[in-house]
Amino acid sequence: MHEWSVAESVIRTLVQWSSKNRVIEIKKVVISVPSFSMLDVDVLREAFDMMKGEYSFSGTLLEINIKEPVFKCENCDSTFSVNDVGDQIEKIKLNFGEEYPLHLMPALVPAFLVCPYCGSHDIEVSSQSITIDKIEVEKS
Amino acid sequence: MNPLTILAREKLKTKKVTAVMSAKGGVGKSLISALFAVLHSKREKTVLIDLDIHGMSSAKLFGIENKLHNITRDGIAPFYIQGLGIITLNGIVKDRYVILPGSNRGDVMESLISYSDLRNAEHVVFDMPPGLSDEILILNRVTKYNPMIVTTPSKVSIKTVEQLLQFLNDIKVTPKYLVVNMAYINYENTIIRPFGDSTYAKKLSERYNVSLIEIPIDPNIEDFVGRIHEYNGEIIKKLSTLL
Repeated sequence: MHEWSVAESVIRTLVQWSSKNRVIEIKKVVISVPSFSMLDVDVLREAFDMMKGEYSFSGTLLEINIKEPVFKCENCDSTFSVNDVGDQIEKIKLNFGEEYPLHLMPALVPAFLVCPYCGSHDIEVSSQSITIDKIEVEKS
Repeated sequence: MNPLTILAREKLKTKKVTAVMSAKGGVGKSLISALFAVLHSKREKTVLIDLDIHGMSSAKLFGIENKLHNITRDGIAPFYIQGLGIITLNGIVKDRYVILPGSNRGDVMESLISYSDLRNAEHVVFDMPPGLSDEILILNRVTKYNPMIVTTPSKVSIKTVEQLLQFLNDIKVTPKYLVVNMAYINYENTIIRPFGDSTYAKKLSERYNVSLIEIPIDPNIEDFVGRIHEYNGEIIKKLSTLL
């Protein structure tokens, strides 16, 4: 269900951006989401397609990229990937089920994951936020 | 262009917003936020958002520590207690401790605002984290608000709070109230001021042209932790004079 809020945030951003830049029609918007947030891209696209008509973006396509973040431990200086903490992510999903907190707030990741090398929570994450990477304009 | 910021602005743009703030921790800000929100919920549709994401005291005060928020198409559904909506990170992380680096803290705070379902709210009350940190910048980024500043009579607290008042003054935001919590205790009709009188607070309120209100200590308040919405003692009676 959270995908609907993400879709709304993208559409609200497009509304503001198109108004500021005096753009009439947007052809495509490209967004990126972190892989560990486990957003359902089909639901996200469906939500976007359902909402876009209300905001005059009927012709706008949504492209979704999945970002594979790099984790860096500030304590032992190791870097690691989502695969290296896959077992930890599975445990969180088991504990929370549908209400998996990193789905809703990927920025919570250092509160839940520990460095697989030293056990520290002092983790920095590249690409933890949902971002709008590109907006393609039809005509202005 | 941060979609979270834009969504948060959109959600708050038609709301009345109060931010309960203090530059000093341990002054009773969460209790004041909770009771202030309870009072307002009797008059208008109010949602309390606990932005003190490390403390998450609202969940403890209202006894909702083990509950998880429902997530719907409209966002995080508030918990409703006697008509007051409550949004807390505790309802996302299930009473787990949350320790985060600064940039993550900001993202989580912004997510909590952006993804909240505020369709039914007329008034949003934020319980802000203590201290002078980027939380205040985030709040400024997403909305206009009425600050309510909480302190105790202690000189250390007043001096720290003065820095917050200076900051608000610089950004041309005028607080309505300076709340001096734990100002006195009424013992058998004798007023005792265990932390000194409010001389420094009064001087501060005059200097910054902010109304001052003194809130008493009520030892019975501990009995209401977990059911703070049922409290009807001296503290809430004094706070109700602000309505």
